[in-house]
Amino acid sequence: MEPLVSVNDSPMECTSLSASAPIWQDILAQAMTGELLAAMNYISLSEICDDPAEVADALEHAEGERGHAAAFAAEGRKIGVDVTNNVDAKHWKRLRDAFLGCLTERDFIGCLIVQEIMLESFAVASYSRVGKVAPASLGKTFARIAAEEEEHVDHAMSILRAERALDAQRFDDKVHRLHLDVMTTLAQMLAKECKDGHCEVCHATCVKPSLFEVSLSAAELRGASLQQYLKTLDKLGIPGEVTLAWVAQLPV
Amino acid sequence: MGSSVASVAGRGRTREADFALIGHQESWRAAADVLAVLRGPERTRLPDDELKDILPWIPPRAVCHVDVESIVGAQARGLYIDSFIPPDRLEAAYVHENIARVRGAAACAIKAGAKIVSLGGFSSILIEGNFDQLPERHHTVFTTGNTLTVAFIVQGIKKMCALEGRNLSESTLLLVGATGDVGSGCARCLAPMVKRVQLSARNVERLRRLATQLQAHGVQVEIATDLQGFSAEADIVICAASLASPSLLLGRIAPDVIVCDAGYPKNLSPSAEMPGAKVFFGGLGQITGGLRFAPDFRGILNRHPFPNVVHGCLLEGMGLALEGRFEPFSQGRGAITPERVEEMETIAARHGIYLAPLFNADGPVQHGTSLPGGMIERLTAYASASRSCGGSSWRL
Repeated sequence: MEPLVSVNDSPMECTSLSASAPIWQDILAQAMTGELLAAMNYISLSEICDDPAEVADALEHAEGERGHAAAFAAEGRKIGVDVTNNVDAKHWKRLRDAFLGCLTERDFIGCLIVQEIMLESFAVASYSRVGKVAPASLGKTFARIAAEEEEHVDHAMSILRAERALDAQRFDDKVHRLHLDVMTTLAQMLAKECKDGHCEVCHATCVKPSLFEVSLSAAELRGASLQQYLKTLDKLGIPGEVTLAWVAQLPV
Repeated sequence: MGSSVASVAGRGRTREADFALIGHQESWRAAADVLAVLRGPERTRLPDDELKDILPWIPPRAVCHVDVESIVGAQARGLYIDSFIPPDRLEAAYVHENIARVRGAAACAIKAGAKIVSLGGFSSILIEGNFDQLPERHHTVFTTGNTLTVAFIVQGIKKMCALEGRNLSESTLLLVGATGDVGSGCARCLAPMVKRVQLSARNVERLRRLATQLQAHGVQVEIATDLQGFSAEADIVICAASLASPSLLLGRIAPDVIVCDAGYPKNLSPSAEMPGAKVFFGGLGQITGGLRFAPDFRGILNRHPFPNVVHGCLLEGMGLALEGRFEPFSQGRGAITPERVEEMETIAARHGIYLAPLFNADGPVQHGTSLPGGMIERLTAYASASRSCGGSSWRL
């Protein structure tokens, strides 16, 4: 699949090239892939929205995610690396398929749960951690985008809370069903080691063992992401003892 | 496991909790067991390194529902909320992080509508004297549960003395962690019953104040911030210090000393050499009317060799809930008096909450109990049955 938008079309401006650049290159590649996938999801979502305002919202979000992807590409150029993306990489494709499954059923709420509760929890938490340790503008970009993604979650939260108020048990069952699919894939992506072979996004070998060189770790990114996910589910009102069991049962 | 948790939660939504118990695990092994129950029998246990990576990120939250029943038929429904303080982060260096975790757990209890909340283990140590740091409480009250803990420590000492044929009034009592809420409560209760009291704690000013209180009642008192400062005469020792791990070495103590380890985590170092010492774990009670966890955390959250044994601090909240007395019975530091202990003992006993059979790391230390006639045989029979049947609920 072609990238949704070309984000590498301006001349490369290499302002620094440190030994850690290849690590940032892979971190940026994962982030850019996630953003482009989110943009695709929002465009798809717009196709099942009945309300013109919702259509406009979805397309606006898609545009925002493309902007994020472009910002990550630009940060790559600043450190002299070419940031690629691959929304067809095995984990990302499974995440896209899960979203498309909801779309096929014209399940607007399911789509929001996958994108805003699950994928955005992962994005907000991991970008925030990266934002704290990444140097200069790279760190600022990750932190800024984390904050913007959090706003998306807040926007969706009011819709989802209202939906849950109609029938909490049915809503929780739906979240659980999607959790088993989407969060299992995310847990495999976030595992300390990639046990199923190359992720098809890192440009060479797996970046995870090298993350300590930039004051990160796969365990930290996983922990922060799952914590963010649990807190988001808390905000939805799903009982904590239920979501704890869900997360405890994820693969490691 | 997932479906059973969901069904429990569904039930829980229909009624607010009467009580909540806030706790944390005292060892990585205990934490691993909790996660193993949540993962269910069909999944492998988390490897130690994964557990240590994941647990610190878990926000405070309810782990299970707890239903208790009184011997007079009263029932109360509650929640066990874990603050998920990592077992190796109980030291002072993590105090702010840990207070935040207890506050988070308190917020869960308030959100669940709990009328009374017991603060177990380090939760109460972190909060005692800092109740203003808890979230806005609405209709929820908090108790440290320390009064019932003191009651069971005192009962345990008396029982052990009786079993060993000791005369309490001829004994020298050493209290380690004497100025804490539990330690000072034990001092006030036991000092009038013994010949002499030795008080040990880190803060000399607090030691002096407590000694002055006791001396006003004609009690012989020595104080020291270092255990080596005492003569080796103590024949009863209560360890109630707030230690992050079992690291206490008592050093100079009398042969055949009776030692009550009332810490959570335990105070006594596993390497402590005390030949002839009679050690038991103090501050524990047993709820005989009925205790059910859903999901089934029996023997996981209460890891004791007898069924339905729970720390006194948590039982205080259950007892008050069964009594319908939703009040902050134990708060602050230094307010536990013999009269308050007696009042709490009476409430607990009315609902079938008694001193637990005495035991230590090696198992039961005696066969007698303070329970009504025939109860111990039934408990022993249950303990055998429960190991083999794996049922999710029971009643005596």
